Amino acid sequence: MTSLIGDPLLWILLVVLVAAVFAVLRARRTNLALRRTKKDLETGLAQAQGRVDQLQGHIATLDSQHRGDLADVRADAESATKAVLKSAMGTLQSLAEEQQLLLDGLLKKYGDDTEVLADLMSVDHTGSQFSRRAKGISVLCGGWLGRREGVATVYDVARSAQGRIKDFNRVGIHAQVSVAVSSKAVEPVAVVLAELLDNATTYSAPGTPVEVNIQSVPTGVCFIVDDAGLGMDQETKDRAAALLSADGPVDITSLGDPPRFGFAVCGMLAARYGFTVSVGSVSPYGGVRAVIRVPEELLTADAVAPVEPAREPAAQEQESTPHRLAPVPVGPSHVVGTTTGGLPKRRRRQGPIAVVPAPEETTGFDAQTTESAGEVTASRLGAFARGTQLGRTNTTEGPDHQ
Amino acid sequence: MTTPGEEAPVTSDFVRSYVITGGRSLPSSDELALHTLVTLAPERTLPLGAGPEVRAIWELCAGGYLSVAEVAGHLGLPVGVARLLLTDLSEQGHLLRRAEPPRAQNVDRATLEKVLHGLQSLIG
Repeated sequence: MTSLIGDPLLWILLVVLVAAVFAVLRARRTNLALRRTKKDLETGLAQAQGRVDQLQGHIATLDSQHRGDLADVRADAESATKAVLKSAMGTLQSLAEEQQLLLDGLLKKYGDDTEVLADLMSVDHTGSQFSRRAKGISVLCGGWLGRREGVATVYDVARSAQGRIKDFNRVGIHAQVSVAVSSKAVEPVAVVLAELLDNATTYSAPGTPVEVNIQSVPTGVCFIVDDAGLGMDQETKDRAAALLSADGPVDITSLGDPPRFGFAVCGMLAARYGFTVSVGSVSPYGGVRAVIRVPEELLTADAVAPVEPAREPAAQEQESTPHRLAPVPVGPSHVVGTTTGGLPKRRRRQGPIAVVPAPEETTGFDAQTTESAGEVTASRLGAFARGTQLGRTNTTEGPDHQ
Repeated sequence: MTTPGEEAPVTSDFVRSYVITGGRSLPSSDELALHTLVTLAPERTLPLGAGPEVRAIWELCAGGYLSVAEVAGHLGLPVGVARLLLTDLSEQGHLLRRAEPPRAQNVDRATLEKVLHGLQSLIG
């Protein structure tokens, strides 16, 4: 036993045991403390997570609110811009219309002066282009084009559109149909066609032709515009398709700088009046083919209004000029009523034409009264005078001249 | 502010005259004076692809001689534009022209009356 107590190994073992017990106890305590800390941290983390979620939600709310506000402000700015532009363009439109009316009068007034007429025509051409631009912007801003009173043939609609672009000389029109466009659609179709022609002439080489073919299809009439340009890239095609099928208002600030109004105007008018415009296909010349399809509802079989303006039947008498030829009283029936323009309608005469200068008032032969005995006599006398005159001088151009 | 509404009427000429001429230069007034008389040559057919204005001239001139000024008035076109269209038709041989006759020389009234009485006694 003593030897056992004295054995150092036993002591060492004892010490190690005690140390081990301590260590275990200590580790256990540490473990417990760590578990507690972990639990605390986890709770804290959850709380923090909750806060973060809350904050994120808040940010999202603020963000959407901000977006909404921004959109509202943008829309406000857009509509304010549109309102201002619409009214400004309205003024320009009426001025352009006024100028064209004025030019209509001037062109007729100076119609006999070749040089003045040519100059007036170039002013008129510039004015028409100006008017088209103003109309386009006005339409995008919710304005109106103004209404034509009468219907117009598809050929005239195409010619009117042709007159509104710069290079109108390059445009050739081929109409296979002679149907008319109803009055409310006349101006919009002409404006849209003018925009397509403008694109076609702008994006093709100068001197290349731009063709307009007007064809009848089962659902209406198609205006087909073909150019010989390079065609459109995919991006332009997509942009055009989007603008042409747009149903609502177009954001005018998104049209670039300088703004490209063309397709937007086309899409807007097409949607408003119920016709369709497409520009996707390739023309036989390798360029773009644009097609306007005007449905049956916008066409009419009505007779086209006469080209001449309505005038008072008495206007002819009032407008007599000193050099006016006397009416030729060969027979009582050569003047058969008057046209809508107030001018006399004449039929082909049987005998040779007898034209004499207006007789003096003192001669007593009043050429204005018809079907009187004196009248017939005067005409015979006129024929006689003319016959002798022909014998004296040879001033007649006519069949023998050709 | 004058903002034209949908109903605002547009009354300016729909087809502008420079489109009708096709931007070509206008013939001088020496060619066809205001008073030059024109009519359709016999047995002519309307050229293919004739525009509405040419067709209107065709119908007008089929009825006998009309002056250039009258044709322009009927069509509601400036005289220069009507003259261009008439010149085209004339160059294609579709029209006959007759210049305005010069004023007759003054004959004294007594002679005219004698001739008149003579004719009246002849024709009754």
